[in-house]
Amino acid sequence: MDLDWSPAESEFRDEVRAFLEEKLTPELRRAGRLMTSVYSDHEASLEWQRILHERGWAAPAWPVEYGGCDWTLTQHYIFSRESTLAGAPLLSPMGIRMVAHAIVAFGTPEQKTFHLPRILTGEVFFCQGYSEPEAGSDLASLSMAAVDDGDDLVCTGSKIWTTHATEANWMFCLVRTSREEKKQRGITFVLIDMNTPGIEVRPLVMTSGEEVQNQVFFDSVRVPKANVLGKIGDGWTVAKYLLVFERGGGAAAPMLQVMANSLASAAAQQPGPDGRPLIDDPVFAAKLAEARIRADVLEILEFRTLAALARGENPGPAASMIKILGTELSQKLTELILEAAGPRGRVYQPHATAPGGPLSEFTPPADGYVSGDEWQAVAPLRYFNDRAGSIYAGSNEIQRNILAKAGLGL
Amino acid sequence: MDFAFTKEQELLRDTVTGFLANRYDLEKSRGIAKSGVGWQPTIWQGLAKELDILGVTLAENVGGMGGGPVETMIIAEALGHALVVEPFVDTVVIGGGLLSRAGGDRAMALLPGIASGDVLTALAALEPTSGYTLHDVTTTARRDGDSWVLNGAKTVVSSGPLATHLLVTARTSGTRRDTAGVSLFVVDFDADNPPTGVEVHGYRTIDDRRAADLVFDNLNLPADALLGIDGDALASIELAIDEAIAAVAAEAVGLMRKVLADTVEYTKQRQQFGQPISSFQVLQHRMVDMYIELEQSIAAAYLATLNLGADAAQRAKAVSAAKVTIGRAARFIGQNAVQLHGGMGMTEELAIGHYFKRLTAIENEFGPADLHIARYAALTRP
Repeated sequence: MDLDWSPAESEFRDEVRAFLEEKLTPELRRAGRLMTSVYSDHEASLEWQRILHERGWAAPAWPVEYGGCDWTLTQHYIFSRESTLAGAPLLSPMGIRMVAHAIVAFGTPEQKTFHLPRILTGEVFFCQGYSEPEAGSDLASLSMAAVDDGDDLVCTGSKIWTTHATEANWMFCLVRTSREEKKQRGITFVLIDMNTPGIEVRPLVMTSGEEVQNQVFFDSVRVPKANVLGKIGDGWTVAKYLLVFERGGGAAAPMLQVMANSLASAAAQQPGPDGRPLIDDPVFAAKLAEARIRADVLEILEFRTLAALARGENPGPAASMIKILGTELSQKLTELILEAAGPRGRVYQPHATAPGGPLSEFTPPADGYVSGDEWQAVAPLRYFNDRAGSIYAGSNEIQRNILAKAGLGL
Repeated sequence: MDFAFTKEQELLRDTVTGFLANRYDLEKSRGIAKSGVGWQPTIWQGLAKELDILGVTLAENVGGMGGGPVETMIIAEALGHALVVEPFVDTVVIGGGLLSRAGGDRAMALLPGIASGDVLTALAALEPTSGYTLHDVTTTARRDGDSWVLNGAKTVVSSGPLATHLLVTARTSGTRRDTAGVSLFVVDFDADNPPTGVEVHGYRTIDDRRAADLVFDNLNLPADALLGIDGDALASIELAIDEAIAAVAAEAVGLMRKVLADTVEYTKQRQQFGQPISSFQVLQHRMVDMYIELEQSIAAAYLATLNLGADAAQRAKAVSAAKVTIGRAARFIGQNAVQLHGGMGMTEELAIGHYFKRLTAIENEFGPADLHIARYAALTRP
């Protein structure tokens, strides 16, 4: 048992580091550093995807035949970790990390040929149509109707919390093709061209003032049956398959360590509440240390999960545990960063950040003035947006239900 | 011991609550707060002329009601419940208190303007390097013949962009963190047309209020700009901030009552898994914990309010206890209200998003919980 990388893994890490050092421009690093949520600035994210694609690293987790990398799980973790430590923008998870895996597993040859190469280049950009106003935690109760009409399904209803719906040109979507006794049956997984007539996108203004989320309305939208992924009525199987990719496979701890390290550096320059250097305030120092300890421990938990997967074992409900620990520690860190920002933590200045979407009702000052440092401008927006961590991808209450059942047999 | 309101106090509460219920629309007020001038002068005039509450704690000879901390608490709670952004605490509590205690012709001449709604004040005390520490002052004021010359910088001056008068702390003697040598000056002000020697950067805060950073570069002030005694302003400023914290604690109570009520109602309406989510025990316990935090906050607001007239040490101890309690409750109730509203709590579609932002700002204003825990610890050290 040891915690070290093997010589081959160390060599790989150095290769990744050299690539990041060379390719990450100051602008891209800035976009990564000033992120106000888990979504990078859209343009910076696409630009970074193009650079990764040139190297063949845009979608390393895909099968090699579709453009993935022949990496061990440890190599995937190293790549993800090093990218985070270097401050690279995050790629949108919807296409590469989510629906592509379902297309690989369930797609027709035509679907694979059309979508996979275009997802890699960014030409096809997906959003996710799962939640509905009345179907959130209870996703299987979704009711967006899809009526069989010849070669098409005619879809009517509404989806909500659709990240980047205005930027996306495709949506992967769960619709109801029939009412069955068991609500998980009769759901169908479809790929919808967002340019189809009858689709209307309404942006939702978040507490951060950013328009990242949307509600999408469908009025008799014709979706060719050729765009059904898997079988009609069997969409829940596809969705469950995807869930594994939505909840797992990331590296949460490195991002949290980066947040803690940046906070420590900022605190060395920043007056604390009593006017003395914040880093010398014993209460702050203790809170920061505790957060770092949690991140260090989470990293080992992630390594153990990774090691189990690498041995071909099922890590069990660990993904739920890591989701809870990762999101709640992230929220704790955003609280700490906001406290560290001092009085300037109250100032609303999104022009100094890299927002995840357009800004509603905000006119930047003509002279671009920023009160304090950039990280202080990011602090409140990151704090507000990060409240979503315990809500999205299965709320933390739902994750605890899963752990009670699958972890403790209750 | 008596926690009952008098008939007059009950009438005051009902009048203010009724006025806001009829006249203060959340959506409209947010629209104005985000664009435009940032506040509603007509509402302010209504509070002054129709309700006559802007002079609540001022003496009757300057147009005030002669009320005390309990009246302030009643008004602040009602303003919180309606999420009013107009600057009651900055002008009435802080400005009214500082000017009344300073005395002198200049201060006394301004007080009737506070009661009539024509004078708005902003306290410029915090600096880029001061944290929240009121005696950590590097801005200087030096005598130059018959006038004063100010140099320095102030940050996050609440209500700065609205103010007709700035109340500026500046050091007239001593070094950076000395408690003696801090003086208070009044500056006639218009953010759109600032006096020579003042650079203004106005902005919105996260709770849709207005604030500003200010730089003083050889700002020239007349002799009577000095309020109170040269170098002896700190005690009055600390009292003003303690009074502001007590008022903000009451405001937070108003906010949290609304947030908890909305959350309970939402969970009763919201159906998932074939039942209202309020039927899940884990959510019931969460809301009970929110309720317990709220009740402690109400008690804490009383603790602070009823000790404002005590000696400085006892007052500071009670006020810090309240700020710590309110800060903890604001965070717990705010965050869990968002969580229980799910994605909707993350938006500006419902009231909850706006209230959460104000609760977050209240945690931040006048020092975070950690600072007040430290002050309480220092005051109770054997």
